[in-house]
Amino acid sequence: MNEIPEVIRTIPLQYYLFFSSTLFVIGIIGVLTRRNAIIIFMCIELMLNAVNLLLTAFSAYRSDANGQVFVFFIMAVAAAEVCVGLAIIVMIYRNLRSTDINILSNLKW
Amino acid sequence: MRLSDLYFLMPLLILVGAATLNMLVVAVKRNHKVIFGITIVAHLVAVFTLLQLNGSSYQIPPFFVMDGWGIFNLGLILLTSLFVTLLSYAYFEQREERKEEYYLLLILATLGACVLVISQHFMALFLGLEILSVALYSLIAYLRTRERSDEAGIKYLILAALSSAFLLFGMALVYAVTGTMSFPEIGVYLQSVSELPLLLLTGFGLMIVGIGFKLGIVPFHMWAPDVYEGAPAPVTAFIATVSKGGMMGLLIRFFSQADAYRYANLMLIFTIIAIASMLAGNLLALRQKNIKRLLAYSSIAHLGYILVAFLAGNRLGVEAVSFYLVAYFITSLGAFGVVALLSDTERDADQLEDYRGLFWRRPATAAVFTAMLLSLAGIPLTAGFVGKFYILASGVNTQQWLLVLMLVLNSVIGLYYYIKVIAAMFAQTKSVQERRKVLHPALSFASGGAMAILGLLLIWIGVYPTSLVQLIRGLLATFMTTF
Amino acid sequence: MILAWLIILLMVGGILAWIAGRFNANFARWIALLTTLASFLISISLWLNNPTTTVKATNWMMRYEVPWVPQWGVSFSLALDGLSLLMLLLTFFLGLLSILVSWREIKTKVGFFHFNILWVLAGISGVFLTMDLFLFYFFWEVMLIPMYFLIGIWGHANRMYAAYKFFIFTQASGLLMLLSILGLYFIHGSNTGSYTFNYFDLLGTTFPPAIGPWLMAGFLMAFLVKLPVVPFHSWLPDAHSEAPTAGSVILAGLLLKTGAYGLLRFVIPLFPEAAQAFAPWAMLLGVVGILYGAILAFSQTDLKRLIAYTSVSHMGFVILGVFSFNEWAFQGVVMQMITHGISTGALFIMAGFLYERLHTRDIRQMGGFWPAIPRMGVFASIFAMASLGLPGLGNFIAEFLTLVGSWQANNLLTIFATIGLVAATAYSLRILQKVFLGKNKAEHPLTDLSLREMSIALPLVVAILWLGLYPQPVLDRAKPSVDEQLEAYKKPTIKPEIPAQVTLQTLPADTVRLLNTKGGIHALK
Repeated sequence: MNEIPEVIRTIPLQYYLFFSSTLFVIGIIGVLTRRNAIIIFMCIELMLNAVNLLLTAFSAYRSDANGQVFVFFIMAVAAAEVCVGLAIIVMIYRNLRSTDINILSNLKW
Repeated sequence: MRLSDLYFLMPLLILVGAATLNMLVVAVKRNHKVIFGITIVAHLVAVFTLLQLNGSSYQIPPFFVMDGWGIFNLGLILLTSLFVTLLSYAYFEQREERKEEYYLLLILATLGACVLVISQHFMALFLGLEILSVALYSLIAYLRTRERSDEAGIKYLILAALSSAFLLFGMALVYAVTGTMSFPEIGVYLQSVSELPLLLLTGFGLMIVGIGFKLGIVPFHMWAPDVYEGAPAPVTAFIATVSKGGMMGLLIRFFSQADAYRYANLMLIFTIIAIASMLAGNLLALRQKNIKRLLAYSSIAHLGYILVAFLAGNRLGVEAVSFYLVAYFITSLGAFGVVALLSDTERDADQLEDYRGLFWRRPATAAVFTAMLLSLAGIPLTAGFVGKFYILASGVNTQQWLLVLMLVLNSVIGLYYYIKVIAAMFAQTKSVQERRKVLHPALSFASGGAMAILGLLLIWIGVYPTSLVQLIRGLLATFMTTF
Repeated sequence: MILAWLIILLMVGGILAWIAGRFNANFARWIALLTTLASFLISISLWLNNPTTTVKATNWMMRYEVPWVPQWGVSFSLALDGLSLLMLLLTFFLGLLSILVSWREIKTKVGFFHFNILWVLAGISGVFLTMDLFLFYFFWEVMLIPMYFLIGIWGHANRMYAAYKFFIFTQASGLLMLLSILGLYFIHGSNTGSYTFNYFDLLGTTFPPAIGPWLMAGFLMAFLVKLPVVPFHSWLPDAHSEAPTAGSVILAGLLLKTGAYGLLRFVIPLFPEAAQAFAPWAMLLGVVGILYGAILAFSQTDLKRLIAYTSVSHMGFVILGVFSFNEWAFQGVVMQMITHGISTGALFIMAGFLYERLHTRDIRQMGGFWPAIPRMGVFASIFAMASLGLPGLGNFIAEFLTLVGSWQANNLLTIFATIGLVAATAYSLRILQKVFLGKNKAEHPLTDLSLREMSIALPLVVAILWLGLYPQPVLDRAKPSVDEQLEAYKKPTIKPEIPAQVTLQTLPADTVRLLNTKGGIHALK
């Protein structure tokens, strides 16, 4: 059984880069096009996870623990962010009976 | 971890302690006055411990560094937050929502900004940024019965999360190329290469998205007017000052520690951003009827001004940024403080109409507001003038004529809408408006006192900037040895 | 120190007047009046205590300097010479009158009104006194805000627009001047190693030839807008016609003079080469202003607007004279600053009196007032005669000297400028004809000048007559300053002969300045 970093290194680094870039872009597109606040949140999570993947890969390739430690930070923070985010979404749902962000258009230019 | 680390982190630890204490007190019994008192005392003690550190430069590897620049920013952030707290009491007292958690969140947001300005490592940066952001999400949406409040909250939330994702991706790329996350080591790496690798440049570019969002500069400014309008007035003041100032502090630390000023293409990006921010901020502000939105656009422009000094990239530039931050903080606090002061239970006093003839109804408030607006416009006798002068000096010194001329042009455009508000305040109202119910005077004592102090500070710095300049120079002595 | 007290006195008086105005409007008026009177008396005593005959090592009567922001080389530096003293006297004289004029006219927010008046006066005296460029800019801006309020709060119907326009024009040009000041500061700093805003140190700074004109352009913008010179004049008719009488008097009598003063004090000595290169164009602008102002003045129907355009015309003489670079012309400019302040101020006061009685400024609704109000008619015709440059009245001396001076510099343009004098006759007589002669169209009986109004108008007549009949004290007083401003032009033939590569660096700024202070006291005649 190989060590995990070695397993990670069996795939070329570029592939990780391309893969997580793709995930990241999918996330961006999702944020820009979807109208449901919860789905938007999921897309942002996707973007964060793309970053996590990238960091892990780099960390493994450089044999430097910093990247992986950072991943844990990101995961914890993302969880906190989602907590607050969902709370706000629930609040909006209570006020408006919808989580569609198009309804929110009181604030304009 | 050494014991002296704790000593140097004392201001931050005190904030953590105060946040915890507030939580416990809320659990036992809700009392607005007690929580308010704890918050004030915590800020004062934190400032006091900060004063003991004056003049030192101390590394807390790998995350933090406590040098003059950090101390300056910490002091600025703590004092600003103190003023926000003072302004908040009257504002929240007259609202029915549960007000105690507000202070808790405010302390946490302040803590986040503090972490941000002393960090010299991506992880610390990210943690500070997120502590600040997550606290801000809830602060913005704090008055939950107001429709605009939650709308502003969700907008800020989505965009902030998006921008931190960009920031993180950028950091990951920088990490990939340099193999390190600490600013000085990135600087060492940059010394070794003659040209920026493409991946690194992309990384920096993505990081600028995240940083630019927090600074609210063009083209990442779209959230600013909405959030400014939707958030409670004291929180708006906080966003305009602490959140932006913290990020500015970090940006300068990053650029000087990593010595990124050398790269013409990075500088070019910031030049474009600065010009676009000045122009867009001022031009969009022209047609605003809503004071909070107007101030939002004006703050976009002001960040553009600060970038002019930042782009000077030398010691004079950093001094100018520091000075301008102080002036801008005082001014913004004062301006939003007036908005908070005039707000009633239903909504914030954010329409231009609310200010018509104010001078003849409440001369003192109007006088303070006038002084703040004149300071934003950069008219002498106010701190804003000296700040703008400092920035112009740094720009002329490094011969960035384009930026300097844009600054002058924009100052003139800016004048127009500041004067518009002042003119409204001095206009004679024909029919005596029905005076909206305002707060009991005793309650607004804290706000009134804070406003008076801010007004005096504004004039004092405007008339006699010597002491502040001296202070900034002294503190920067331990920061920028390379320049 | 007494110079600083002058400014402080006015500022404190302003605040006191504001506070007092909350209790009783008359307190505010009296406080303002007494404060200005005190300043006026102080400057008269300065005049008396510093006779012109004594030959001193320097023409600076007194200097006062304390460090203000030493890190930047900014000092609170005030100095008084003949020119400043004359301008101060004019300032306080017109200040007194404008307070008296407003005694009945201003009924709302009296305290705040007088606060603004006194602060404008303080700003203007600061501009005339300060010898530190940072401080100069500071005062330059300080005088604008109260002026903005004066127009914007107590003005006529279209006041907001006028106030905006005034403020934005002057601010924009002021900021350009600030850029130039900074440029000057850094160039001088990198040349000599000492970074300072002090006027005396900055004199004689040498520039790279490509930069000098740009720096001068910044200063020029501020002063030409303030003066105003024709392409930049459009704020002036609006501001003048919408301002309350006191505001118009201060605008025409004093604010415009700060522009002329700035040209004399800063542009001419600081940028000798650039100024000489620009001189033909500047003189052309002056002549265009003279003729354009006169033509437009002739076609106005709004009395205050008409007078405003006469200011444009008269100020054309100032720029014509300033860029002639000789003593005659400069003396003429100084005289023009004073006499125009008095005569135009007086005309605005007359317009104010008429407005109080008729509630209109439209001269088509006036006519034939002489029989009804003969005293006002007499006064108004004296001031109109002054404005057209009748010999025996001050303006004649001023314009004559200016034209004599500019003739030596540029014959052709001077001829055209002289046409302006003819035009001045036309528009001045038109005022008299339309308002006081012809058929009486007034529906109501008019009251003649009251005692208070007489006491305002009489000093003006005395002053304008005195300046016309015996201008020598003023000329003597101005002479040393005028000479000093011209110092850089005395040896124009020598300058190009200095081989650029040899001596420029060994000639530090100080030596040039030494020459300045030593020379220039002796009478030229």
